Amino acid sequence: MESLFLQQTLNGLIIGSIYSLIAIGLTMIFGVMKISNFAHGDYAMVGAYTAVFLMAWIPGWMGWVGSVIAAAAVVGILGIVTERLVFRPLLNRWTDIDMIMVSIGLFILLENLAQLFFGATPRMISDPFRSATVSLGDISTSMLRLLCLVFSCLAIGVLQVFLNRSKLGIAIRATSQNRYAAQLMGIDISLIYIITFSVGAALAGVGGVLYGTIFAVHPLMGAMPTLKAFVVTILGGMGNLRGAIFGGFILGVAESLGGNYLAMEYQHAIGFCIIILVLLLRPSGLFSKRESA
Amino acid sequence: MRTPLKQRLAAGAGILVLLLLPQLVQERYFLHIAVMAGIYTILTLSWNLLAGYTGQLNLGHAAFFGIGAYTSALVAIKLGISAWFGLLAGGLLAAFSGFLLGFPALRLSGPYLAITTIGFAEILRLVAINWVDLTRGSLGLSGVPLLSPISLGTWTIKFYYERDYYYVVLAAVLMTFFCIRCLTHSEFGVSLQALRDDEPGAQSIGINTSRYKLTVFTLSAFFAGIAGALFAHFARLVSPDTLSLHVTFDTLTMTMIGGLGTIAGPILGAVALTFLSEWLRALEDFFKMDVRLVLYGLLLILTILFMREGLVGLVRGITERFGSLPRSRNLGGDHD
Repeated sequence: MESLFLQQTLNGLIIGSIYSLIAIGLTMIFGVMKISNFAHGDYAMVGAYTAVFLMAWIPGWMGWVGSVIAAAAVVGILGIVTERLVFRPLLNRWTDIDMIMVSIGLFILLENLAQLFFGATPRMISDPFRSATVSLGDISTSMLRLLCLVFSCLAIGVLQVFLNRSKLGIAIRATSQNRYAAQLMGIDISLIYIITFSVGAALAGVGGVLYGTIFAVHPLMGAMPTLKAFVVTILGGMGNLRGAIFGGFILGVAESLGGNYLAMEYQHAIGFCIIILVLLLRPSGLFSKRESA
Repeated sequence: MRTPLKQRLAAGAGILVLLLLPQLVQERYFLHIAVMAGIYTILTLSWNLLAGYTGQLNLGHAAFFGIGAYTSALVAIKLGISAWFGLLAGGLLAAFSGFLLGFPALRLSGPYLAITTIGFAEILRLVAINWVDLTRGSLGLSGVPLLSPISLGTWTIKFYYERDYYYVVLAAVLMTFFCIRCLTHSEFGVSLQALRDDEPGAQSIGINTSRYKLTVFTLSAFFAGIAGALFAHFARLVSPDTLSLHVTFDTLTMTMIGGLGTIAGPILGAVALTFLSEWLRALEDFFKMDVRLVLYGLLLILTILFMREGLVGLVRGITERFGSLPRSRNLGGDHD
């Protein structure tokens, strides 16, 4: 009984780390640019397809690691392109509704372009470890899933160092806190926007490779990560990075345990139930410092 | 506000054409698309009431559509009473759920409201998939009865062909249209727009914003429920897809392309896109691929970026350029 609990917690942490990774990008973009990007999960989808194609070319774990990097690069560039073409022209209009709707347009477009070019058949990212498993006492998991956990934690760690230590990272955080003040301090806002968007998208791309490794890769896979990432960001407070990290793990574990002990078929509803409660009781998110209204 | 005579005449002529349409074009395929366009029109009109006039971005509109469809289908199948009661029941239950959803929505806006409403629809979709005893799960409810015949003395109206449904849906569209038009042209509508543009400002002049939002949520849900119920008896198949995100996104795309926050826009968008996508389906064999939704996405993005007023704005711009109509001319009743 106890081992089942531990096992489910571990599974939840693995999925949760991927949720965090995808959600961090979303929350970063929201924090800096106030864009709620409903196409965010499609960046994950493009990342996953990058991995599928690269793995077909270079098999084995070299290919897997390479595809994580390639996905970051490809999706980072896609992020820059979409930011320039789709979101930038709207930035000065400052209406939430337009921004959300344009991102929905992008979501529909990317999803169906993918269906057009890649076909509707689901594909798998092949397992570089040939389904090897690791056991620790009673609990066990596949090498691949463990690698996903390690990789997403690594990516989150690198991002934290980048944001806290590097000059550029500090500039991004400054813009997120107050863009006018940041501008007055001589920060090139336009550049920060592009970098933030591209880094945020790239994180989703990496998340997509991990997500696609655990589940399957298909053109419509983007909707789920988008919704999960939104649940996570609202859980942690929109624009709050640390909130997104913890929020991801909380959602992952809650889904895994809830799916096991309550009802497997309603696993995906758990996140929505949590955020409806959070929004009713504590609209600024679980991890916000209480700010003066 | 009185409507000018000229405009009333135009509206009357428009309705007359719509009434005669099945006599002019008797092709069943065409009428089938026309019925779908009508159902979409009710959806877009009701969604626009919330998003366009109150600025509340509801991304769970599919929930109301699905509730209407399932309720009406289940009432007819399980209870075996006339489908017309099911139609009403579908609308009312959707309205009630809109009322309930309106409460949390009162405190939320922008992305928070969007994700809460999506969550609501997704939870319902999961219920529809998993409550197999009631909904038959992913298979969906098939064999939903047709609308039951109405007998007036010796004369019985049967609802069997597309043409019959065309008139039912047309009546529903007109009902929705006039309700929403009356609403938005009244003090109520002006208050709604005040609420959309400046909520604290509206509150400060004594507009009870909570009550307005709840009312609009309920009404919008009611019409969407009716659309769902009509769809159930027309398509005769209700699956969890009626609750999916894509219903909402289609509605949103049509409304935006037509023109958000206008009364003609949603109608124009729904009719134009329904017919366009059917036409593109015919081209599919030629191109060997489905370009329909790619186009939807592209059009949605382009509309928001370059043509925020939608088709209505475009038409208004053209008429203004050629100077035949003054700007205040409302593009109401004469488009369908």
